[in-house]
Amino acid sequence: MQSMKLCNYLVSIGGILVGGLIMLAASEFPLAFTENGPGPGFWPFSLGMGIFLGAILLLGYSVLKRDSLERQLVALTLAANKRVYLMMGLMVLFCILINLLGFYIASAVVIPLVMQLMDYHDKKVMAMTTVGTLAFIYLVFGMLLNTQMPESIFLE
Amino acid sequence: MVDILAALQMIFVPLNLLGLLFGVAVGIAFGCMPGLSVNMGLALLFPLAFSFQGIGGILMLLGIYCGAIYGGSISAILLKTPGTPASVATTLDGYPMATKLKQPGRALGLSTMASTFGGVFSTICLILLAPQLAKIALQFSKPEYFALAIFGLSIITSVSSGSVIKGIMGGLFGLFLATVGIDDMSGTIRFTLDTTYLLGGVSFIPILIGVFAFTQVLSSIEDYYHNERGEVNVVIDRVLPVWADIKRVFGTLLRSSAIGTFIGCIPGTGGDIASFVSYDQAKRWSKNGDKFGTGEPEGVCAPEAGNNAVSGGAFIPVLTLGIPGDGATAIMMGALMVQGLQPGPLLFLEKAPDVYAIFIGLLLANLVMGLMGFSLIKLFAKVVNVPMYILLPIITMMTFVGTFSYHNSLNDVYLMVVSGCIGYVLNKLGFSMSAIIIGIILGSMAEQNFVGSLIMSDGSFSIFYTRPICLFFLAAAVLSLFSPILGKLWKKN
Repeated sequence: MQSMKLCNYLVSIGGILVGGLIMLAASEFPLAFTENGPGPGFWPFSLGMGIFLGAILLLGYSVLKRDSLERQLVALTLAANKRVYLMMGLMVLFCILINLLGFYIASAVVIPLVMQLMDYHDKKVMAMTTVGTLAFIYLVFGMLLNTQMPESIFLE
Repeated sequence: MVDILAALQMIFVPLNLLGLLFGVAVGIAFGCMPGLSVNMGLALLFPLAFSFQGIGGILMLLGIYCGAIYGGSISAILLKTPGTPASVATTLDGYPMATKLKQPGRALGLSTMASTFGGVFSTICLILLAPQLAKIALQFSKPEYFALAIFGLSIITSVSSGSVIKGIMGGLFGLFLATVGIDDMSGTIRFTLDTTYLLGGVSFIPILIGVFAFTQVLSSIEDYYHNERGEVNVVIDRVLPVWADIKRVFGTLLRSSAIGTFIGCIPGTGGDIASFVSYDQAKRWSKNGDKFGTGEPEGVCAPEAGNNAVSGGAFIPVLTLGIPGDGATAIMMGALMVQGLQPGPLLFLEKAPDVYAIFIGLLLANLVMGLMGFSLIKLFAKVVNVPMYILLPIITMMTFVGTFSYHNSLNDVYLMVVSGCIGYVLNKLGFSMSAIIIGIILGSMAEQNFVGSLIMSDGSFSIFYTRPICLFFLAAAVLSLFSPILGKLWKKN
């Protein structure tokens, strides 16, 4: 468990960086006012400044309220969170597999893996869920809506 | 009259009606499964809506919207686990009625009746009030629209997020995302990172599916680790309410529906607030107020009428002013915009048949929801039992398929996954996803009207505080931003 104080400090640093980067990127566009109104950089620059100021405000607030925020806990590193991060990794793997193997084969690999991740191990139900889901997607999206799902790069 | 006939012609097409029926059924199923949300259902089926010709997709989404709010009550009553936050108050009397009094059919019947009543009541209010408000809004010019966009954003950031500062930061980031691509006013290409993918702007749909559907999947995986849901094994007998119950709760239905409609009109509120306020008022007005919490019929009806009445109320600012009140109405507004229907007062002039089609569609969705509730409740009670280890992999696949099918682009899929992962972490850190999404939706409106206003005034910012309506909305925006702090100070004193 992390304290909200620490999280707020990190969010503030992130906000200062993001706001600063937006201001920097926006300043490459004209900011000055012409007969066509403010330059195209003015609005995003203002938004960047808003995020920047918001982050500083959050930092100040977190310093002022550090005692109460210290007691407020955020679950980011518990076993349940680790399972979520594994799921995120699995989805990145799925994105790679879609390119390599095509959507249907990649899904046939990933659906049972997601079920495994959720501590479910009955192979029969896993197979039925995989086949049922893919049949539904093929019928509705492939046949009915004519969506051509991504194919393997080796088949292109 | 001609417009209404044209709207009826648009709606009464077999495929469109099928879309509505499908939407309501899917909505109820999504609502009744704890861990799935209204926003998730809407976001997931958002791309499918464009497979329908014309208004059909919008009808489907309206069906999901109404069905999901109602569906939350089924698991609230049978499992004491509300399917949606809007149904938390329903557990207070719904669950005791189903278990202690052993009357699950009566509880489900009352909640179905109350939900339908609330939905129909608020739709009638929408039909009566929205055109009048649109007439007033027609007098608005660019400064007023800019102020409205800021007001809409401010009230959402102050209400929906745990932290006001984080709410503002999220909203500003959403507004920034809306600036990516070709600037409508000057034609300048901004922040595209030299990719053609971003030339048309950040694609709204992958982000929507990412932060509302994929993030929810990740949160459900986390919740599933802690506790597995119980299983429903109840015998549901009669679900149609008896006359004595109808007579007893009629006053509560009217009061709660009015409360829900009013709360729905206020951006940033929503079904959860409406249901608790309705429940609280029902308790105060009831002769049996002290028995609330033990299975009182008014205690079941009040929150359900209140939360479903939000649906019609929430559409009033969306359709007349183009201001979405929460994540769900932001998705609905996005769907209307993608279909070429720009919400705002001009919609009532330029696309009147479509507006009437939305009105009639919402009314039909509520009626269909009631019919399905009464006739298929036993089936929906079984849906509650579908285990998460089957449901979540299916939904995960649907987030991928739904995102891909919108533009046949794998880049959209990558954006969806990234948005979902970031959304999960941001949720943990106390950011509001709705504020970011509403920022994206209102971004273009805010910037265009901001720049347009300054052109009107030759660069003078006085235009924003010398026009009474504009000043009113901007002052209201500042007030709403500081309302949590003012509220705390008021409580202290």
